[in-house]
Amino acid sequence: MSSVESVKSEVFSQIAQLLENKSLTVTDDMPLIGGEGVLDSMKLVELCLALEDKAAEIGFEFDWTSDAAMSRSRSMFRTAGSLAAEFFSQMEVKK
Amino acid sequence: MIVVTGASKGLGRAICDRLIEKNIDVFGLARNVEDVPFASMSCDVSSYESVKVVVQRLKKEGFKVTGLINAAGIASMNLAVTTPQSVAQKIINTNLLGTIYCCQLVAPLMLRNKQGSIINFSTIAVALGLKGESIYAASKAGVEGFTRSFAREMADFNVRVNCIAPGPIDTSLLKGITAEQINKIVAQQIIPKQFKPESVADLVELLIDSRSDSLSGQVLHVGGA
Repeated sequence: MSSVESVKSEVFSQIAQLLENKSLTVTDDMPLIGGEGVLDSMKLVELCLALEDKAAEIGFEFDWTSDAAMSRSRSMFRTAGSLAAEFFSQMEVKK
Repeated sequence: MIVVTGASKGLGRAICDRLIEKNIDVFGLARNVEDVPFASMSCDVSSYESVKVVVQRLKKEGFKVTGLINAAGIASMNLAVTTPQSVAQKIINTNLLGTIYCCQLVAPLMLRNKQGSIINFSTIAVALGLKGESIYAASKAGVEGFTRSFAREMADFNVRVNCIAPGPIDTSLLKGITAEQINKIVAQQIIPKQFKPESVADLVELLIDSRSDSLSGQVLHVGGA
């Protein structure tokens, strides 16, 4: 897994598995948290753990407790797209 | 495996000794682990990065963490108005932030297994509003509040979070406190006697065991308050 697109596909797939409404399609601008977010806190943690496992498979450590993860305005959990972008970015830096 | 902070001395050490006696794997954390005769690692709980390094090792070595006991703590018996800013900061950093950092970073290891028990430490000084312990009590009141909310956050993952609030237990933390001062505090407990570290270890043993699976978000006062 190396391209932005393949990473995005993997992250979106992990999100899709956790959606209550299986008819929803995961898109770049799908909000994950907040008022219109599709994931409750429990699902969000499950997603983080799944991405942590995926990152370990690839060979890097996915950090979901960084300041960037927690900041509301620039949180990696704003949307599915921002999460995929952060996952890719961490992969590139840490690999 | 149970991760225990403050493992080199005092209550933390007594808890580790008890768990080991019961054939429970322990991983001790302390600033100085030179004389710790079981699996351990140096860690300053008031440093987020230091705790993170520990968690990275636990992950790397594949330890199945089922418990966290936050026994690391410092005390300073002074009037608030005569306590230097640096000491106040250190008490809050170690007692409150140290507990929060360890919970934040170690709990995910338990979430994965949907099983775990976290025990934080407060003090009877919170319930009794003891004179000369305002900053220490403030740090521990924070721990109690954190424990109750964090317990709710963890409940979906079958991780229980409780808090033990002892009276003056006979450990090095009481260094510098006179027998008269100790007796005064003990007299205010529901059971007016000074308990030993073993009594706290008894409670820890119960709280990490599935026999206490109905308990979460509770503050348990050793001696009663």
